[in-house]
Amino acid sequence: MKSEVESSSWRAGMPRRDWRNQWHLIGWIFAWMLSFVGASALLRFGWVGGSAGYLVALLPNLLGVATFWSFLRFLREADELQRKIRLEALGWGFGCGAVFMVGYQLLERAGFPPIDTADPLVVMSFAWAMATLVLTRRYS
Amino acid sequence: MKNRLKVLRAERDWSQARVAQLLGVSRQTINAVETGKYDPSLPLAFALSRLFERSIEEIFEPNSE
Repeated sequence: MKSEVESSSWRAGMPRRDWRNQWHLIGWIFAWMLSFVGASALLRFGWVGGSAGYLVALLPNLLGVATFWSFLRFLREADELQRKIRLEALGWGFGCGAVFMVGYQLLERAGFPPIDTADPLVVMSFAWAMATLVLTRRYS
Repeated sequence: MKNRLKVLRAERDWSQARVAQLLGVSRQTINAVETGKYDPSLPLAFALSRLFERSIEEIFEPNSE
């Protein structure tokens, strides 16, 4: 028998709204990543070209906007502690990415090998994910 | 901020999950408030006040300087 807290408005310790929004966000992130990998492969190996190539290059951006929108929706509707955790984690992610990007520019001038323009995004995403985990544990 | 949430919950034999469900927040939020790791927003403090039928001052007490 379902307990009272497993009612339709609540799931896995969080309001069902947050549960739903979280999975929507995860779904959009994966779709964005997959479309990026797919588009990269199509363009790199020259399987598409011309105007079709531009369309393939633009498709991941549409999914990126959807992911961004999904994240905003999650933040707007989230439980207040979740919102605090996610915003603080976002601050960590942005801060680490910005410091890495600006710092590495100087290192490049000092002789370090050049990096891909997407690399700061990897640092940003990693820092964001780590901060989310650490902050979630802190408030548990 | 100190609070009497644990005592008030115990008086009613309510779990953290039950309080969270009644207020539409996560269990983690109630736990964090109860253990003093997180100070609730004013709307949540009022919601707790209504739920336990106590004034906010009866539930929460600021840390002495």
